Amino acid sequence: MTTTATQGPQGRPENRAPRREAHPGQAPRGHASPGAALAVLPHLLRTALAWTDAHRAEFALPDDVLDPRTQVNATLKPLGELAQLCSTVRAATAPGTPEHEVAGDLVTYAWEQVGAGDLLLELLRTEPFAAYPYEIYAAFAGYGLRHEGFEALARPLTATRAWAHTEQHANRQLGLINSERRVGVLTHTDAGAVLSRTWLGGLSEPWMFEGPSGYALTHTVFHLTDWGRMPDRVPEKTDAYLRTWLPAWADGCLESGQWDLTGELLAVGASLPGPPPLELLDAVWPVLADVQHTTGCVPETGVPVQDTAPDPYPFIDCYHSTLVTAFAAALSLRSLRSLRSLTDGAGSRSGRERHTP
Amino acid sequence: MYTTDTTATDIELDLDTALNPGEIDGVYRDSRECAYLALLAGGGALLLSPPTPRPKKG
Amino acid sequence: MDQTHASSPLAGAVHDLATEVVLALRSGDHLATVCGAAGIDEENRTGIAAARVIGADLLLPSVLYGRHPHPGDVAVLDRAVREFPPKPDAPAATAWSHWHMISTLQRMAQPPGTTGTTGTASPGTYEEPDAAWLEQAPWQSFTHQLSVLAPLAVPAAPSAVQRAAAARAVDLARGFVRAVRRRDWLQAAGAGRWLAAIGGEPATLGLERGLDFVELMGGHDPRVTLHVRAARLMAEARAR
Repeated sequence: MTTTATQGPQGRPENRAPRREAHPGQAPRGHASPGAALAVLPHLLRTALAWTDAHRAEFALPDDVLDPRTQVNATLKPLGELAQLCSTVRAATAPGTPEHEVAGDLVTYAWEQVGAGDLLLELLRTEPFAAYPYEIYAAFAGYGLRHEGFEALARPLTATRAWAHTEQHANRQLGLINSERRVGVLTHTDAGAVLSRTWLGGLSEPWMFEGPSGYALTHTVFHLTDWGRMPDRVPEKTDAYLRTWLPAWADGCLESGQWDLTGELLAVGASLPGPPPLELLDAVWPVLADVQHTTGCVPETGVPVQDTAPDPYPFIDCYHSTLVTAFAAALSLRSLRSLRSLTDGAGSRSGRERHTP
Repeated sequence: MYTTDTTATDIELDLDTALNPGEIDGVYRDSRECAYLALLAGGGALLLSPPTPRPKKG
Repeated sequence: MDQTHASSPLAGAVHDLATEVVLALRSGDHLATVCGAAGIDEENRTGIAAARVIGADLLLPSVLYGRHPHPGDVAVLDRAVREFPPKPDAPAATAWSHWHMISTLQRMAQPPGTTGTTGTASPGTYEEPDAAWLEQAPWQSFTHQLSVLAPLAVPAAPSAVQRAAAARAVDLARGFVRAVRRRDWLQAAGAGRWLAAIGGEPATLGLERGLDFVELMGGHDPRVTLHVRAARLMAEARAR
């Protein structure tokens, strides 16, 4: 139960939050019912992808995308995310399923938007010392879409001392390492050492979790596991730490209406080696299903609208969370179904959490 | 003999709530980012990263 | 009643009483009575109600330092037990805190070889209330209820509540994390006190620093300080 101020006798009015509008994340949370995640996930995934597909034109790059005054965060960033997250959805779904096909179409669409790599080469020629063109390129390269000219120019640049000493946050540096792995060049440093410098790798006190550290943590896992494809890269103690604390963090994200971060935490839970964290998935996915609009989009934060209009949120306020929802749903389904096939076979695996020592 | 008998009923009610309080409303507030002393504030794209920070309405 | 922002006379009296318990815990030497210092005697109904809220923690300094409690405090606790028994339909937490007051009086107020100075409030047959609901509660409400029952988190006071807590240390640790994120310092302090009493929390929790933080953020409420100080004393005793 989260907000039962009606019975509260607290003589500390300064501790009370202003009354907020109620939303699904503030409902009392009972026990997760087994199978609750599997019951909502197929529909969640299908509709989130359908919304993305129906709004693909909004990901299109403007003609002036290379103009220095154009905001990359509103143009190249969404397109790169479309490519990255849909390529993961495709890899996590079975060939022949509609989800697999739509995800593949969307990656192809994004590749067309960058002119099959030509535009990325142009971008690199205008900003040769930036890391982000390489990271966007790597989203495609990881999918098998390559551009020889881009790689020819990137090769000497990524072999420099300057590249190896790019100043950025540790979790982002893991992203660069992952990009190098995808392109197939020697990584500029050891991922394990970088991991230990992240908030997650330091096994930070879990009560210090909040939005910024939460996003640092989720991206650490995404880069470390190549967006959920390589769960075994998560070290054992990190795995145990995440299994222990993810439920507490997700609960706060639900209560405060941080749906985007909730989705990312679910993707992290579904990217762990071994059995999926069943209680977490069964407790949280049904809430996110309630938040999802009938058209399939998921708002980034805040009280979900009950509007039946086709576009209840501005694109920029829901595209990321909708992509994240599809991505997390595909990984969760993969994880839950592999558990099911394992238990059907051996009947011995359990989803119970291990605890940190 | 009690000196505050006039409020006996109030006290019983207050006591019931004090013995079985509900939860207070959660207060959530994330750290802000301050670009103080940061180089190139806002200059780098964060690919595949959290949603782009935007001014929040209301 | 020295505080001005209390929402009711009862809240003010609880505040004063908790403050005196904290002072006694801090000094480790409480010759004066906690209740006397807070201006509470057996004839003060608001004060007795406050003693019912503070519950067995009224004798916490004696419990943790292993000393005999002051007869005045024992008398007030005894009075609170009699004056405010749980109603038939009272929530389980209310029944449990009442049970614990009686059991504490039995343990503390009648050392062998002494004569009882109070009319014993303790029918020896007083049964433990039900605790099955605790075992089944989701970890969020489990932690909230345990925090309400934080006075039961003391050494050498076995109960079904304590056994439930010991069996769910990880859930309590998650509840602590949740409470801190919600800035519910009182709940966090209560959960932290339980973890200090039972041990077994995940090592990555960082309970010691967490309790420091909770005390500094929420210490304007003396009940927060009370739980944190109790937790520290128990953690120190465990470490010895």
